[in-house]
This record gives sequence, structure tokens and C-alpha cells, in this order.
Amino acid sequence: MRNRFTRSAAVLALGALVVVATACGSDTKAPASTGSVAPSGTSATTDTSATTATGAGISLAVNPWTGSAVNANIAKIVLEANLGTKTTLVDIDEKATWPGLDDGSLDAVLEVWPSGHGADFDTYVTGKKSVVEIGKLGPKAKIGWYIPTSMLTDHPDLATWEGFKNPANAKLFATAESGDLGQFLMGDPSYVSYDEQIIKNLNLPLKFVVAGSEAALITAVQQAVKDNTPLLLQFWQPHWLQSKVKLSEIKLPDVTPACTASATANDGKYACDYPVDILYKAASSKLEAKNPKAFAFLSKMQLTTDQQNEIAAMVDSDGKTAAEAAKTWVDANPDVVAQWLK
Amino acid sequence: MTATMPARASGTTMSPDPTANGNPKSRTPLITAIVALTALAVVGFTLGHTAPTWLDAHVRPWFDSVYKWSQLNNGTNWAFRFVFHPIADAITWSNDKVLSLLRALRWPGMLALTGVIGLRTGGRRAAITAVLALAGCGVLGFWDDTLITVALMLVAVGISLLIGIPLGIWAGLSQRADRVMRTILDTAQVMPAFCYLLPLVVAFGIGIPPAVMATVIYAIPPAVRLTSLGIRGVAVSSTEVGTSFGCTGPQLLTKVRLPLARRAILLGINQVIMMAFGVVVISALVGTGGLGQDVSDGLAKVNVGLAFAPGLAIVFAAVAIDRITTGERPSRKRATTNTAIRKLLDNPRYLGAAAAIAIIGIAIVAKVAGLDDFPHSLNLDVVKPVNSLASWVNDHFRHGIPIVGGTGSFSDFFVIHLLTPMRDLFQAAAWWVIIVVFAAIGWLSGGWRLATLCAACLVGVASLRVWDLAMDTLSQVFVAVLLSVALAVPIGIWSGRSDRLERLLRPLLDAAQVMPAFVYLVPVIFLFNVGRVPGVIASVIYAIPPGIRLTSLGLRQVSYAPREAALSFGATPRQELLKVQLPLALRSIMLALNQTIIMVLSMVVIAALIGGGGLGLETVYGLRKGETGRGMAGGLAIVLLAIVLDRITQAWGKRSSAELR
Repeated sequence: MRNRFTRSAAVLALGALVVVATACGSDTKAPASTGSVAPSGTSATTDTSATTATGAGISLAVNPWTGSAVNANIAKIVLEANLGTKTTLVDIDEKATWPGLDDGSLDAVLEVWPSGHGADFDTYVTGKKSVVEIGKLGPKAKIGWYIPTSMLTDHPDLATWEGFKNPANAKLFATAESGDLGQFLMGDPSYVSYDEQIIKNLNLPLKFVVAGSEAALITAVQQAVKDNTPLLLQFWQPHWLQSKVKLSEIKLPDVTPACTASATANDGKYACDYPVDILYKAASSKLEAKNPKAFAFLSKMQLTTDQQNEIAAMVDSDGKTAAEAAKTWVDANPDVVAQWLK
Repeated sequence: MTATMPARASGTTMSPDPTANGNPKSRTPLITAIVALTALAVVGFTLGHTAPTWLDAHVRPWFDSVYKWSQLNNGTNWAFRFVFHPIADAITWSNDKVLSLLRALRWPGMLALTGVIGLRTGGRRAAITAVLALAGCGVLGFWDDTLITVALMLVAVGISLLIGIPLGIWAGLSQRADRVMRTILDTAQVMPAFCYLLPLVVAFGIGIPPAVMATVIYAIPPAVRLTSLGIRGVAVSSTEVGTSFGCTGPQLLTKVRLPLARRAILLGINQVIMMAFGVVVISALVGTGGLGQDVSDGLAKVNVGLAFAPGLAIVFAAVAIDRITTGERPSRKRATTNTAIRKLLDNPRYLGAAAAIAIIGIAIVAKVAGLDDFPHSLNLDVVKPVNSLASWVNDHFRHGIPIVGGTGSFSDFFVIHLLTPMRDLFQAAAWWVIIVVFAAIGWLSGGWRLATLCAACLVGVASLRVWDLAMDTLSQVFVAVLLSVALAVPIGIWSGRSDRLERLLRPLLDAAQVMPAFVYLVPVIFLFNVGRVPGVIASVIYAIPPGIRLTSLGLRQVSYAPREAALSFGATPRQELLKVQLPLALRSIMLALNQTIIMVLSMVVIAALIGGGGLGLETVYGLRKGETGRGMAGGLAIVLLAIVLDRITQAWGKRSSAELR
């Protein structure tokens, strides 16, 4: 028994040793160039801080949606081509991004939706001051209530929230899960949601149902449009799905100061439309000292809503990768890029 | 995977509980029970319909404040600077080294290494399967991402073994250590990774370290359990021989116990690896890249094929590693010819050296020949065919099937007539009624100690302030378990009696078990709409394989003598099955039930991602909104429910085998 143990161990150890030897001796270039390796933990700075004349390498967060991927890829192209800064893109969950900015293993994230990160902002930007806001990205986003546009032909009164007061209308949206009430579907629980309060305070015969993830929500939309069945949901602009299926936003009561106040107070009395989300950029507070040029560029970089939609469409409709789309757009718009570098 | 699947299942079994011994004689008379129940009912009435507000363990605010404190102090506090950060750096360093080693081997070298290890551990067949499976990852176009994932797995598995085997030895030698560890391992196994992922990021930073730690937490239980089991399984006679020859304590361990427990420990290693593959997708959320990220990308685009292809690569990688880490090496035939070369090759040390040199040679040749990337000409596109299959299924199965209607109407029927009434029943009953019922079931199954345990766990659920959500989850778990058992036991019986079916099912069951559930979330919603039904269906897909395997194994393990006896007394094959084979296989079928329940509970979070709600949604809030306390409360409630259901079904298993004797 013991013999076999030693033998196997010997074989493996020998194999491993010799292989390590060759790996060290004969290999310098092949690995590491894929870009998919995350700079990890606290040692990220040692990986990327091969300080060149043009400043330390940086890493940018890519959150799981097209807009985030194209912004980061555009920044990468400009950083590498114009500023000579080696840039790593890290695919990471939205929520895990902030601890990464906090300890400096991520240098910046270029598209933050304020509605989902109020607590992170309080903790890291105003509280700990380890993360700084570096200006608005440009595009405005808006959350709202949506139904498939095709429903409006038969039920034009569903264009505003008042149409849902009619129980017969609400019942169109009933499912097995919502019983007699109409179903209101919400996707990813991390997104800001006043829907339960709106339903309650406007006295609508609707039941709030959480789908649990954005993927589930999108699938439900695709299925409803395909089968021509009613669906009422929380959705938002910009989103790639908006260019694939026709959805119409329902008019909710206008945003009033009282309504905004009740959102801040969290008193459960919210009863109006969602405010416009102005997307912003955030960076680790260490970035300015680490690479001032990159910091200045990232602070200035801005896209309009139209520009972002144009690039996102190349990915979502034309099947390009985010990197290809970014390259195409940067090549076609040298003047915009020049503005960022002034 | 073949040989070990049933064993894998037992690796995931929550450990047996000595408190749940079902000795019928020790049971108190019925009257005592009635008196106790009445007393409980009186107490219960005074407690009211919903759990009283004073019953609050303050778990949520506690975790929230710890999390908040960590967020604010992780840069300055000593625990982070001198404990967590150095650990994180060490993990990153090892991962970088392992990954550059794997990459330096290039794909021909990797395949050769896999083949050589396979030859040594499992023989020619295992080696061929493993090499083909690994090559499959390249054919699917995910060679480098596979390496990234495998490197992370290797580091996580290494750490798990480094910690798990010593802990297992300790648990094997000390009864008390075993008892304490059992609770911790049960928690580690059932607690959803969603609860602790963000806290790990705050402690260890982003990227590889928190992903490795999450994998270790999830994958370590089998290492501890199987080591402990192996040590305990060593016959007393062997240790006595050791002692009588004058072995010291440490000698007894290293020369007698460990070598004799080797098989169990090796099985534990295999189990750890398989479990580790179960968290690939979730751990990618913190920025590891690799196959898990590819699956997430596909899911974010709601593209079935795009998520399926890397999912399949994960299955292939798991199969490859499984084949080369299972199985005893077939005993090599002694060479009959006595030439010098033969002699040289028979010495394992030289053979190992020769293999190592050959692999390095292949790697160097590959480098010189420029074989950096897996050849694109060999790539096979599965995305498009899978997508067209998915849309075909979507077009044809939802509506318009004669008689049954289609999956859409099936789903509605299921919700209205099964899930909703069940939930209403659980939620309408006063909380103490549920506790009394479970205590009674516990008492009937395993006596007073089990009854107390069940009641205590459910009071714990109430004190987490998630009672109604727990009842929602419990109702779904019941339905999913019923459905899984209704499917798994008949299929298992059939496959236990038909070798052809067994062979046919094997790869399907392997795939269903290792394929990340994220891959089939979208198709399941396609067919069953968003809601509780797709969650139940996804749980059933995940929970069926161990059920089928254990049932089939149980039937096959029934020795031939009693069956033959029955047949020779003129029993029809049907009688022989019902009166002989099934009763003798009952214990294994009970274990199948137990496994099914645990698997269903581990899917509660995934189900919440497609509309399941309940406790699973609480843990999703924990990760996605950073509400750690909320997630922890939900996760702990899932653990407590799991302990109740696990201990009760384990007691049934013990009784069914006791009654046979």
C-alpha cells in the first residue's frame, strides 16, 4: 500500500517539477495575453504597475450589459492607443464592483446607474472616500412601466395608469401566479422598485410578482410578444431589447417634489413615475495619483444617448463583439475622441 | 463519473445523526404523546397564529452591521491586513502559477498529461474518455477559458484537501469533533453561495481569491466526511495488531489507519472536485473569467445556445477530471519477457520519468510548432443548432398538444391546483401547528430526540423572521420532491433491471448533474412561464439523477440468492420485483429520497431567479442588493429546513433497514 502511495506521489511530483522547470525556462510570451484573467485581490497593483513612461496600467470593470461593455472597450482603445496605458477589462457583477474600486483592484467603472447604488455611494464615496465620482457618462436612463405596443390598438386606455383602474383591464394581465388580480412583473430584485408602493397608493388591482433575474424578465417579454399575450412589467431605457421588440411606456403620475420627498424618507407613500437616472462614472480614489492622465481622460469621456445606442446596436443587432464595435466607432469618430483628450 | 456517481451521492449526504436512532422499544406509549401534543397545543394557542415578535434572533441586523463594519474597515483593520489580504495574495499567486503551467503545456501537452494520469489511475478506457472529453472543450472553442476554470478548480481543491483531510482525520478519531463538524459541514453544504459571496469580496478583494474561498466552502464537506468515514471504517483488529506490535499513536495513524482508509480518501478527493464544478458559474460573478463567465454572458443575452456551449464545456472538463481521479488502477500484468527495457519500464519510477519527459517533449514541440491555440479548424459550432432546437421546442410544445394542451397550460394547472393550495395550507396553519406536526413526524420516525431537533430547528426558522417565506419554500420543495420521486423511482427500477437503459442513461445523468442550472433557466421559462413552476421543474431536473442512480444501485445490490429462491418457488418476475427485490432495496431508495430533498433544497436559490420567490429570493437580495443580513437570514432558514427534512428521512432509511432484519 505504502509503496503505491510513494510511487504515485513520486511520479506526480517529478512530472510537476520538470514541467515547472520548462515552463519557467522556455515560456515568456504565450500566456497572460488573453485579457480574461482578472487582476485579483490586493495584489492587482503589483501585476499591472509595471510603471512605464506613460503611467501605470489600469483595470476597468465591465458589468453584464452591452452599454457597460462598449464604454469600457472604447476607453481601453483610447487609453492604449493614445495614452500608452495598458488596460485590463474585468467582467464582474455590478455589486462586487464597488469593493473592487474600494481596495483599488479596479480603477474605474464607466456606467453606474444611480438608482441601484445609493447605499454603495453612501458607504464608499461620501463615507469612506475611497471611491470618487468622476462626472456623468452622458446617457440618461429611465425606469418605467411597459406593455407590448400591440396591446394599445385594442386597449388604447392602457396608455396611462388610469386605464389600469378598470378591473376588467387589469384582469387581462392575470396569470396563474397572480390569481384574480393583474400581474405586474419585476425582473432583477437589485433594481430600484417603487412598484409595490405605486400599485398600493394608486389603488390598482394588480399583484406585484418578482421574476428574480433580468434573464427571466426578458424571456417573459419575448414570449409575450411572440404569443401576443398581455404583459405588464417594469423595464427601462436604454436596453438592447427595446430595439428587438416593441414596448410602450405607460404614463404614470408626474414626478412631484412630494413624491421625491417620500422616496428619500422611504415612507411607503411613493405614487408617481420614476425619476430620470443620470448615469455616472466612478473611480478608485487612488487612480488620480496612480495615473493622472488616465484619470483626466476618464473624467472627460462622455457619450450621448444616441452615440451609445448606435454602438450598442452594432453589438446587439449586427452581432459584433463589444471590442469590434468600439473600434469601428472610435475609428469613425476621431474628433469626439480628441475632445476627451484635450 | 460512472463508477462513483452513487458514491458521489453519498458524499453529499448529510452525515448520519446518532440522535435519530429508531429503536422501537425505546418509544414512549401513545398516551404520553397525546398528552404532550395537547400541552403543546395549549401553549401554542397562547402564542397566536403568527410567530410572536419577541421570537427574534436579530440575525439580520447583526450580519448587516458586521458587513457594514467590514466595508468601512477592510483597509485598516489588522484582521484584513495581516490575515485576509496575505491569504488572498497567496491564492492569487498559486493560481497564476498553476495557470501559466497549464498554458505552457499547450494543448497537446495537456492532453498527453491527462492521458498519462488516466492510464495510471484508471486504465486505458478512462484515459481515452478523459482525453476525448478534454479535447471536447477545445472543439467547442473554449480551450483557454477551460484552463482558467481548471486552474481555479485545482487551487480550490488543493486548499480543500489541505484543510479537509486533517479535519477528517480528527473527526475520524474523536466522536466529539465529529459531532461539531457535522453541523458545520451541513451548513456549508446547504447554505447558498449567494449569501456569502459579497462578504468574501469585502474580505479578500475581487477576482480569484473570493471565488476560490467560495468553492472551498462548498466543496470541502466530502473531503472531511469521507476521510472520517474511512478512518472509522478501519477494522479494530487492524489497529489492535498495530498497537500490539508497539505502534505509537502517530505511527498507528500513518502506518495503519491512513493506508487502510486510502480508498475512502481518494473517493473524497474525487467528490471534492465534482462539487467544486458546481459553483463555477456563481464564482465567476466576482470577476474570475473562464467558463463560468461565458455561461453568465450567454444568460445575460438570454441566448440559450450561447449559455449551453460553455455549459457543455464545463461538463466535458468535469468528466475528464472525474475519469482520471476515480477508479483503482487495474493491476498491471507482470511482464513475461525479461528484456532490459521491459524491466526498466516495469519500474514505476522510471516509467514516471519517461512519461514526464515525453509530456515536456510534446509541450516543447508544440511551442516550436506554434500550436498555441487549439486549432480553429477543429471547432464545432453548437450555438446555432441548439438555438434552433430551442426555438423548435418553444414553437411546438407550448400549445396545441392533443389532450394535455401543452407546457403552458400544464404550468397553469400545476400552479392553480397544486402549488397554490399547498402554499395556502402551510401558510394558513398557525406556526406552532406546523412545528407540532413536524415534531410528531420526528417522534414517529426517530423518537424524542429527533422530535426535539425538528421543533428546535423550526423555532429557529421563526426566530429568523422569515416564517411565511419558509412555508412558501417548503410547499414548493414538497411538490418538487414528490415529482422527482415519482419520476426517479420508476426510472431507477427500470434501469436497475435493464443494463441497456442503464448504459443509455449514464451520460444523460452525468450531464444533468454537472451542467450548471443557469444553462437551462431560459428554456425552462420558455416552456413554463415565469413563476414557481419553472423553479420546480429546474429542481426536478437537478434532483433526479441521484434518485435514479441510488434506486438502480439498490436493486442491483440485492444479492441473487433470495431472488432466485423466489423464482424457484414459482414467483412471477413481477412478484419477485414487488415482494423480494424492492423490499430489499428499500434502504437505498430511502437514501434516494433523502438525496432528492437535499438537491431540491440546494436549488431553492436558482428557482428564485426564475420566479420561485420564497427564501431563495431573500438570498438573491443578499447578493444582488448587498443586503447581507437579509440574505443570511434566508440562507440559514434554508439550512434549518434542510436539517429537519434530512434527519427525518435518514431515520426512515434506518428503520427500513432495521425492519428487514
